[in-house]
Amino acid sequence: MANEVALTVNGLKTYIYTNNRCNRALDGVSFEIRQGKTLCIVGESGCGKSVTADSIMQLLPTLSRIEDGEITYHGPDGPVRIDQLPRDGAKMRAIRGKEIAMIFQDPMTALNPVYSIGFQIKEMLKYHTGLGRSDRHSKAIDLLRSMGIPLPEKRVNEYPHLYSGGMRQRAMIAIAMSCNPRILIADEPTTALDVTIQAQIFELMDTLKRDHGTAIMLITHDMGVVAELADDVAVMYMGNIVEAGPVGKVLRNPVHPYTRALLESIPVLGRGKDQEIKAIPGQTPDPYNRPKGCQFADRCAYRIGACDQMPDETQVAPDHRVTCWRYEEFAADAAE
Amino acid sequence: MLTYIARRLLTLIPMVIVISFLIYLGLELTPGDAVSHMVPPDARSMMDEERLQALRESLGLGKPFIVRYWIWITGVMQGEFGYSLAGGVPISKIFLDRLPATLELSFAALLISTVLGSILGTISALTRGSLTDQSLTVVGMLGVSIPEFFFGLVAILVFALNLNWFPVGGRILPGYDSFWDRLPHLVMPAMVLSIMMTAGVMRYARSSMLDALSRDFIRTARSKGMPEWRVNILHGFRVALTPVIVLIGFRLPVLIGGSVIIEQVFQWPGIGKEFVSAVRSQDYPLVMMVALFSVLAVLIASLIVDLLTAIIDPRVRLGE
Ligand SMILES: Nc1ncnc2c1ncn2[C@@H]1O[C@H](COP(=O)(O)OP(=O)(O)O)[C@@H](O)[C@H]1O
Ligand code: SF4
Ligand SMILES: [Mg+2]
Repeated sequence: MANEVALTVNGLKTYIYTNNRCNRALDGVSFEIRQGKTLCIVGESGCGKSVTADSIMQLLPTLSRIEDGEITYHGPDGPVRIDQLPRDGAKMRAIRGKEIAMIFQDPMTALNPVYSIGFQIKEMLKYHTGLGRSDRHSKAIDLLRSMGIPLPEKRVNEYPHLYSGGMRQRAMIAIAMSCNPRILIADEPTTALDVTIQAQIFELMDTLKRDHGTAIMLITHDMGVVAELADDVAVMYMGNIVEAGPVGKVLRNPVHPYTRALLESIPVLGRGKDQEIKAIPGQTPDPYNRPKGCQFADRCAYRIGACDQMPDETQVAPDHRVTCWRYEEFAADAAE
Repeated sequence: MLTYIARRLLTLIPMVIVISFLIYLGLELTPGDAVSHMVPPDARSMMDEERLQALRESLGLGKPFIVRYWIWITGVMQGEFGYSLAGGVPISKIFLDRLPATLELSFAALLISTVLGSILGTISALTRGSLTDQSLTVVGMLGVSIPEFFFGLVAILVFALNLNWFPVGGRILPGYDSFWDRLPHLVMPAMVLSIMMTAGVMRYARSSMLDALSRDFIRTARSKGMPEWRVNILHGFRVALTPVIVLIGFRLPVLIGGSVIIEQVFQWPGIGKEFVSAVRSQDYPLVMMVALFSVLAVLIASLIVDLLTAIIDPRVRLGE
């Protein structure tokens, strides 16, 4: 069970069209999500993390399209090619919420203010389970209780405005987990919350992963979160995954300059106050006017002539891959 | 919720006092005095000057303005509305006779514009950019910009005189007074009166719906795998509805103003038509009472709208 793959994304290209211009938001992205494991997708804002999640859920903006690549969900009834399903067709809707559920960045706006929390959990149960009215109600209460919401019998009838931010995100997780999905996608679920609440939410997600064997795809821009929660990590930059592998390898032996830069830009616990924190110089390029070769070239301290061409993806180990011309030097350096 | 209603009711009182005071001031500044307004003209011609003077004294006309205002307003509150100058009919009787017709017409127009406006606006939003949406937008613009009497005249010409589908005007034929007998008379004036409001509601419902559909909880609803209609109607429309109801409340005076004109065009025997002839014949007591009642109607309507929005919005309903 541990290494069972729940979802495969292969060579995914998703383009977004605005004002007659094409934004190649995802330009060939590949990864797997494993049952009972957490894959962290990390990268700066605008690199395509949300578009990746929205592609899997088929929740993309109207003027966008999966141009190439495959998204395969390995469900209980065999593999399903999500990218080939009509966006709002019955098949996609049967997967959305039931098999793959999602929680969002801002719990303050993700819940509908005019319906009670209970209603918003129960409508999910209504569509995906055969439970009757009263069973749905008691299931909603059970879910809230298991998400650590006090007095769930009372809270179930309350409206979102009476919930704090952390409680709302717990309620969102209760909705997402209500049909026991095989995959939970969390798009920066704690960015809008306090640090202490953040830790509680992550702890809850970790428990769910262990208890239910849920595959989690956690999107974050914070390397600290990756270090704490990930089993696998994929580092994204401008629509590409530049480095991916098990968390131990990627964090301990990063072989892409961008991964290294990200790691240097966060404080590391235990290293004290005097540690050197280096912000990544420069800014991400304009998505409509991308560099021709390596997308990171303009900000990379190791740039060479070859970097004007896009490097290929290379395996530095069977489970560790990188997209950089000079990866060998970094790999040798990391091995020392 | 109960305290909310009580609070809203309390805020009505000062408004009514201020407005009725202004209206009384207007009455005070017009020629003639209260006696001429209160005594039926026939009776007055039989009275000699001394008796009139005695009546003035007994009515307290020698008293200061404020005191007289107080006497007047308490009288109005007890149902003593005075008499119309034309024919000396008690104003209360005119109200009793005419008010049902006006209420019927306004309510029908309100119903049409709320339902039709919300539905068309929602369709427009859901098909944004399509031909349907664009045509509805154009129709809506025409609706708010062309005066109602023009629509009224065209409707009479086409549907009454040429096609003969509906009667030209009036409300009841002698001997036929059930609701179903009256309905054909009601259709045209109600439709025409509702045009401007329908167009307004439609445009507003469209933008409110687009706003609701762009909110995060719509994506959440979609991520739950629910069908589009449920996402759009249960989550989108439900949230878009609150501002639409508020708008309808704000626009009620437009409806009341419009009914004055429409009643005239269709010879609808309501307060509005009475108001026009009262203004023409300088029947000030009647004009004042109609003005006071219109203001009251708007205030009460806005109170009802407030309560409705409160019921719709859980934050207010559950006492925040
Ligand atoms: N709804 C949208 N309309 C137009 N462009 C979008 C939309 N959503 C995302 N993009 C573009 O796609 C790229 C990736 O964005 P996103 O996946 O949201 O980044 P992030 O990694 O911060 O989640 C960006 O260039 C962004 O401008
Ligand atoms: S390919 Fe070149 S520019 Fe890109 S990360 Fe590697 S060294 Fe830097
Ligand atoms: Mg994002």
